[in-house]
Amino acid sequence: MDEQLLRARRGEPAALETLVRAHQRTVYGLALRMLGTRDLAEDLTQEVFMEMNDHLTSIQSSGHLAFWLRRVTTNRAIDQLRRRARIDVTTLDEESPLFGAVDEADPLLQRRLSLLLAELAPAARAVMLLRYQEDLDPAEIARTLDMPANTVKSHLKRSLDYLRLRLEEGGDARRGDHST
Amino acid sequence: MSSSGVNPSDIDMDLEAQLRDALRPVAPSDAFTQALLAKLSARSARASSARESHRSQAAGRGLPPTRDGERVVRLARRVPGWWLTASLAASLLVAVGAVQHLRAEHERARGLEARREVIEALRVTNQKLDLAYRVVRSQSSAMAEGDSGV
Amino acid sequence: MFRLRVVVFLLVPVLAWAGPNPRLVLPEFAALAQKATESVVITLDPSLLAMAGRFLDGSDPKDAATQEIIKGLQGIYVRSYTFDQDSAYSQADLDAVRSQLSAPGWNRLVQTRSKKTHADVDIYIMVVDKAAIGLALIASEPREFTIVNIVGSIDLDKLHKLEGQFGVPKLDIEAPASAAGKSK
Repeated sequence: MDEQLLRARRGEPAALETLVRAHQRTVYGLALRMLGTRDLAEDLTQEVFMEMNDHLTSIQSSGHLAFWLRRVTTNRAIDQLRRRARIDVTTLDEESPLFGAVDEADPLLQRRLSLLLAELAPAARAVMLLRYQEDLDPAEIARTLDMPANTVKSHLKRSLDYLRLRLEEGGDARRGDHST
Repeated sequence: MSSSGVNPSDIDMDLEAQLRDALRPVAPSDAFTQALLAKLSARSARASSARESHRSQAAGRGLPPTRDGERVVRLARRVPGWWLTASLAASLLVAVGAVQHLRAEHERARGLEARREVIEALRVTNQKLDLAYRVVRSQSSAMAEGDSGV
Repeated sequence: MFRLRVVVFLLVPVLAWAGPNPRLVLPEFAALAQKATESVVITLDPSLLAMAGRFLDGSDPKDAATQEIIKGLQGIYVRSYTFDQDSAYSQADLDAVRSQLSAPGWNRLVQTRSKKTHADVDIYIMVVDKAAIGLALIASEPREFTIVNIVGSIDLDKLHKLEGQFGVPKLDIEAPASAAGKSK
């Protein structure tokens, strides 16, 4: 049994802090990129870690914890998105781009990718984030989202096709090999 | 698609690499993290004092403490030397049972996939039933408004 | 005489089998699948349903409710395709399925047509000896169509109560009495 987990179960603040700091980029990153604004992402992040604290006794290992956090975060975010209209992409916080430190080599492309990802349906967006932010393979994504593996693969393929098409429509200057 | 002879799989790899770059981890603000940790600590302290109260009541009744960590530590100190022999025997059994384990894992993966498909199928069915209910309801409302307007 | 009796005996199960069959023959929709942006294709026969049942966790409320629903089922079949533009499919694509629902045994439970959203939903049940043994649902929207075929006895009330658990928000709508189905 992971030592940090054991100590966190006993309520030791230092152990809890270690767990939070180890996983907050995952939870917050998923929340922010699913929900689109910092406020909503912070609310969801807090909710998830509070629930983690309440369920520590049922979490068996650090691997299980990572799985649990991803699952709860994405499912809660999907639930929220389904309950309200599509996020208004124009209200995204420009000071905190959805996608972390912008690559100085191509800031425009990265911003464009971030806006395009926000156009995907909640389930497809969750699949893409688990794949490209969390580097999970399709089987792991299927387990995390409780989704058939074929549906995961379908989401990945269709989302990539969609992004590619939209990038081409937008006339991405970097993709000089696509002459129109 | 490109007409310059670029391999589509190269384009996909480029897009996937761009996505990974764009989706690098994002941390919340330090202020948020500090506030969250403070709330978690407060919550844990409340839970801890509740456990402490339970323990002192249990001790009063002659019962052993119930902290998971303490129980694990005491168990480790009690382990005798024969454990090594037992673990060697267990390892042999594991080796012999490897094929059965793999088969069981495969079966489990199929079963879990079937479970996910059942849940997805029922979700889709529910979604479309709701669609029908919404249409019926909106038509009923429209008819009621029409009647009242006469 | 004995030979005649044997022939009749053998014919009875054949004739019984030739009675109302709640299992629809669903097309592959290969061409439409290529065009779709999202697709859900699920084929759960009795053995897969039984397997799924073993992996549903009875201590989890959602799983327990799901176990309850699939108890009387022999099959669940779903074909759902979403497109990124209107009219990517035609009603003729669905006719091969609709034509099966005019076979004896199928009764249309609900037919909804929305001029506002252009969403059409048809729900059929198959009733034999006052028991529902199958359900078919065809939902046709401008950019999506869904076909669901459930073989066996399904309780629509229990299914409706699950809606909050599947990530679909609870809607403030009571199922109309006619659509609740007398599935037991």
